Amino acid sequence: MVIAAGAANDYIGLANAPVLWILALTVMGVVVLQSLIYMNAVKKNAESAGMSQKEVKTAFRAGGVAAIGPSLSVVLVAIALLPLFGTPPVIVRVGLIGSAATEVASASIAAGTMNANLGDETFTRGVFIVALMAMSLSGAGWMISTLILTPVFKRSSHKLEKVNPALMGIIPGAALLAAFAALTFRELPKSPTHVVAIVVSAVVMAICLFIANRFHQQWLKEWGLGISLLIGLIASYFAHYAGLGIPES
Amino acid sequence: MSNTVASPSHEAFERTTTRWGSITLFTGFLIATSVPFYLLFVADANIDFGNILTGFLAVFAVYGVFYIVEPLTYFPILGPAGMYQAFMIGNVSNKLLPSAIVAQATIGVKPGTRKGEYAATMAICGAAIIHVISMVLFVGILGTWLVSIIPEPVTNIAQLYILPAILGGVTVQLITSLKQVKSTIIALVIAALVILVLVRLVPVLAPGDVAIVVILTIIVTWFTRNKSVTDKRADGDDTVGIN
Repeated sequence: MVIAAGAANDYIGLANAPVLWILALTVMGVVVLQSLIYMNAVKKNAESAGMSQKEVKTAFRAGGVAAIGPSLSVVLVAIALLPLFGTPPVIVRVGLIGSAATEVASASIAAGTMNANLGDETFTRGVFIVALMAMSLSGAGWMISTLILTPVFKRSSHKLEKVNPALMGIIPGAALLAAFAALTFRELPKSPTHVVAIVVSAVVMAICLFIANRFHQQWLKEWGLGISLLIGLIASYFAHYAGLGIPES
Repeated sequence: MSNTVASPSHEAFERTTTRWGSITLFTGFLIATSVPFYLLFVADANIDFGNILTGFLAVFAVYGVFYIVEPLTYFPILGPAGMYQAFMIGNVSNKLLPSAIVAQATIGVKPGTRKGEYAATMAICGAAIIHVISMVLFVGILGTWLVSIIPEPVTNIAQLYILPAILGGVTVQLITSLKQVKSTIIALVIAALVILVLVRLVPVLAPGDVAIVVILTIIVTWFTRNKSVTDKRADGDDTVGIN
């Protein structure tokens, strides 16, 4: 779905203004800065958790490699939005909190309040700014509530830990399993192709992990996600165009 | 950051990540929010404050509950340090958590241990760097060219099926690396019941579905735990969130 900009998009030059490019690159710079500070904090204190510097490096590399597949898929979705929103707004909106799906939905809801639609001639300069404003303020909602709630949660989790130390040993694993089980089940009913995507990706991962453990191929644990994502998407491609996808809206 | 003689400690890690995590998240928020305000002031558009408020309230009506529910859902997984990373970068379930899970599986540590937390932090840093490179290089610099050469069906498929194609693989990797058979079964059963039954009967619960599954799974796992194993494992094995 490449959303073409409507005839009235006299705003696209504005959306690509140099000031906005600077803001977009600065915000990406802040993400890098945060990561550098965090990496330094881990390196300095890893010893206290019995973690070697080699393991620190391995964890960093594994995380980076695992993110390649998901990042490229996000890129594919993000570039489809370029003609509609301009490059710097897409970098800021998709590159920070939120996801392409959330942002498109928000933009379309906000445009709706002005009786306009994404991508046709009703999407004028004014609608564009209202939509971008609504997306940005909504993204800000997540950020501000995280800034307020994290210290609150932190205090309560320290209290819980004092009540029973075993609690914090059980909660993270159970919460992770629950979150991914729930997210996966949420995708299942959407269409037969969603089921194909999940099952193929899961089977490919199982094969990768089996080979990794049986033949001591450590790299496959790191690359497994990229491989299963790619093969899952290829299978979805064939399933979707065989008519098993979501009905076109 | 001038703790010159600081010896390695978890307190030092928490201090640095809390202070700098919140400073960087707040800075990100300021810059991101300034983008539409800049446009509002330079563009000579025929809109007023009422238009903006109406647009935002319509979006807020759909997503407002997630501002609270998502931090609540991910805090037990991410821990305080990871919260500032995750809610700056976004893409939590499709990018950051999968990276953390892969890294923990690779070096063979479990969530809930300090080592697991550090591994997850490094993994999210690695993911963040790849994220920034991909956004700047492929969206910023090459984006306009790429959009003209990539066939539409490919973009379409990526958009529709990226999430299930990630979730299948990650869930399998998570289950095999945690090796907690009982928690896995509990999580799967509760997820099936809540998502496929409860939410359909009571649709108003839909925005909180993942949070409900997380909370119920924690409670059931807690009350069915094997006390002789779990409650004695605290010997030196510090326990905190995976990140």
